Amino acid sequence: MPQPAGITLSGAITDASRAAVPNAKISVKNVATGQVTETQTSPAGTYSIANLTPGEYEISVAADGFDTKVAKVRLAEAGQQALDLALTAAAGTAAPSLADLGFTPAQAQGSAQEQARLDKRSHMLKIHQRLGLITAAPLVATLITSSGAGGRNSSASGRELHAALGATTAGLYLTTASFAIFAPKVPSVKTRGPIRLHKALAWIHGPGMIITPILGGLAFEQRSNGQKVHGIAQAHAAAAWVTATAYGLAILSVSIKF
Amino acid sequence: MTATLLTVLLLVAPLRPAAADGQWVLDQSTPTYHISHPLHQSEGISHEARGKGVCHAGQCDFLIAVPVKSFDSGDTNRDLHMLQVTRGAEFPMVTVRTRLPEAVLGSGTIHAVLEIQFAGQTAQYKEVVFQLTAHGNQIRLTGTVPATLSDFKIDPPSLLAIPVKNEMPVRVDMTWHSL
Repeated sequence: MPQPAGITLSGAITDASRAAVPNAKISVKNVATGQVTETQTSPAGTYSIANLTPGEYEISVAADGFDTKVAKVRLAEAGQQALDLALTAAAGTAAPSLADLGFTPAQAQGSAQEQARLDKRSHMLKIHQRLGLITAAPLVATLITSSGAGGRNSSASGRELHAALGATTAGLYLTTASFAIFAPKVPSVKTRGPIRLHKALAWIHGPGMIITPILGGLAFEQRSNGQKVHGIAQAHAAAAWVTATAYGLAILSVSIKF
Repeated sequence: MTATLLTVLLLVAPLRPAAADGQWVLDQSTPTYHISHPLHQSEGISHEARGKGVCHAGQCDFLIAVPVKSFDSGDTNRDLHMLQVTRGAEFPMVTVRTRLPEAVLGSGTIHAVLEIQFAGQTAQYKEVVFQLTAHGNQIRLTGTVPATLSDFKIDPPSLLAIPVKNEMPVRVDMTWHSL
């Protein structure tokens, strides 16, 4: 005969100021059978007791410096049930609490949702950082191969290699940029410090990474047709060097303290 | 009449919670953490610490609390990253609790046992040395808490794929006044 699925009772134990109470001893007694299950709260003040059967339970929470709290709860046949309890300081206990310092419960209360937003932001910015470094490799290679793509010593194969590296750089760059652009923003935070320079430089290398390949494409076509590079395509090399310099400075701005 | 009053007072007194013998209030504090990286030496300072000490029967219980997000390293991105790795949105306060004999709160060197709650973890530091100077009803405490990232199970953040060092000493400079 299959056993019924157990119930997990979990929650948080806090003090009067809603600060977490770690290492609180929790006893859960099944009123019908008298069976007692015990556990302790985690450093974050949370607890979880699994494999409980449906029925009436008496929950007792004891912690140093607090009055023992007893609560009754009826567990239904659901999988999870939450029960948060706030402890009160034992009479005569003089230790101050967060409320004594003037912090409101809202200030002391954490937000899992806000933490999730920060986690996602950091995750995306880490990818942005790594991809940004990876992008620097084809960028440098593109600059090095530029001598074989233009000027007197240019060749068709040199131009093709240069164009392929340039296209790789642009593709990686746009992917890198997207991780920064779409990372969740944290409201009411004013940007300060070297990150301002990093962001400001993006206004140079960002458009540069779009303009440079376009101009490069024009120059490639002109050279492939046996023409000398002319018109707006002549600005390709200058645009590339300005873009690469701004990109390098953007990496340095968040890498080296100055 | 006097005897009746005295009797009433004696009967009522044990019912009242134990009253504090004295209290200390934190005037100002500048906790400053220090993080080392081969390319960076960063410091974050907070000016939003609050503290209170309650003395009873010769012992004083101190509580100092600082919002994690109040630490300012001068760079928004670094501060937000610090907030993320320390789970500062989920656990918004750093709290420091210590109990000191009232008698040591004069000038000199004190050795304190600190219980610090930070990033959802609790760490205890024994024998943390503070220099204490007293001026009237004010005392000034300076010292360094030898905290590490691993004490609070914080993954070391990295820059250019190089992680920061595990050591995160926190310099403390506090001024308290007694009530």
